[in-house]
Amino acid sequence: MATAINYDLFTHDVVQDPYTYFGRLREEDPVHFNELYEMWFITRYDDLVWLTRHPELFSNAVLKTDPKPPAPAIEESDLGLYEFVRDFFGSFFIQYDRPEHVDMRKVVHHYFNPKAMESWRPLVVDVIHGLLDEAEEKGSMDVMHDLAVPVPLLVIAQMLGMPNRDRPFLRQLSEQLLFIGRGERDRMKPITEAIQELQEYLGPLVVERLDNPGDDLLSVLAHGEKTGVYTRDQVVANAVLLLLAGHETTINLICNGTLSFIRHPDQWNLFKQDPVKLMKPATEECLRYDSPVKTITRIASEDVEMRGGKVLGKEERIRWVISSANRDPEKFPEPEKFEINRYPNLHVAFGSGIHHCLGATLARLEGQEAFRALAERFDSLHLATDNIEYQPSITFRSVKSLPVTWN
Amino acid sequence: MDYDKERGMARNLKITVDYNRCVGNAMCEQYAPNTFGLNDERQSYVKDPAGDPEEMVIEAATNCPVSAIKVEDADTGEVLFVEENF
Repeated sequence: MATAINYDLFTHDVVQDPYTYFGRLREEDPVHFNELYEMWFITRYDDLVWLTRHPELFSNAVLKTDPKPPAPAIEESDLGLYEFVRDFFGSFFIQYDRPEHVDMRKVVHHYFNPKAMESWRPLVVDVIHGLLDEAEEKGSMDVMHDLAVPVPLLVIAQMLGMPNRDRPFLRQLSEQLLFIGRGERDRMKPITEAIQELQEYLGPLVVERLDNPGDDLLSVLAHGEKTGVYTRDQVVANAVLLLLAGHETTINLICNGTLSFIRHPDQWNLFKQDPVKLMKPATEECLRYDSPVKTITRIASEDVEMRGGKVLGKEERIRWVISSANRDPEKFPEPEKFEINRYPNLHVAFGSGIHHCLGATLARLEGQEAFRALAERFDSLHLATDNIEYQPSITFRSVKSLPVTWN
Repeated sequence: MDYDKERGMARNLKITVDYNRCVGNAMCEQYAPNTFGLNDERQSYVKDPAGDPEEMVIEAATNCPVSAIKVEDADTGEVLFVEENF
């Protein structure tokens, strides 16, 4: 008889290896109800794509709509803080449905289009080389601390027109906001504190951009207030979203991708033969194989019968699992293999449908140039630890650190 | 292009969507609503290559987040827009 499926997603084995856990769900119970969190888990590729392409059935307004208390549970005394947190996160444009969503997205969509992002490539290359020069002088590095964090953080801070000196402060508050994906019962406290500090920091910057707009991303967003699409509070909240989403997930792309290369020396050697040509498909495979984001939430707008007959009831919570969909054998031949030449590679690391990641092109570009620079500089990279630990998050696939040496 | 504009004649466009890239972001429909629609898979399809002015079609292709749209001059084969961000 098969063993029962564990409901706790913060146990060490599930955090360290989500692929075994969610892979088993995909095979045995692809539309799975987790009784502990009162939440559905969708793990097949086809179901995930279908779900994301039917936003009229599956709402993104999860935080505003959810009638249940947060899962995992929080301290009862923090329920007031939860209301504050969900009001703030609920103002992110990704937490809206149509018609509001499309108007809010259009304010910033063009800023991130592939052509516009390409103009940032030289800066990204410069930043990466500066960081790798420093690392080479030291003789070793923590890929997380020395490369993966500073590259996207610097770029998004520069896009938003935030001064360089504020980066450590912004990073620290961003880390606090990540508690939204975790299980600690008192997690609302660090999140609330970070929101309040960021509101204080951003308020005056937004006023400045409204009075005296530049060509930076914060000015573009603030313009949305002038045209009546955003309120002031929404401008501030969405600036936080762009800052946070603009670097946290790319950190994971660079770390997880580097780790994939280290663990697959044949693919690393193949990559080294022509990094310029291979950096694009290789980055796609890094995104598929060990995706930066593991799960994303929706809430059912009505009763929806899924393939196989299970019914997702109105206002029930849903998480769709990128990590399992990207390794679905029905979609990807030999999905457990890391193959940098894989094509086609229509992975769902950035989601799919109308909410497909706004910053996908920027993340791709940063990943491409980071992997290329590593391949052009180093013959081989080696882990300087036997023990890679992951953050206990249900949402993000984040290593705690990635120390490496080279020759 | 300017020559055609001055004569008030629009070029015939050949617009193609790459289904190995299209993720159904549906922004093409926003930028050129008379040219692009969504099929049963909720992916982009060209419902009328002459539905909108050329500038709007190029704008839609430019704002495709996965560079899935290619625009050509249907008569000469000249490529008017193509991107490859990955």
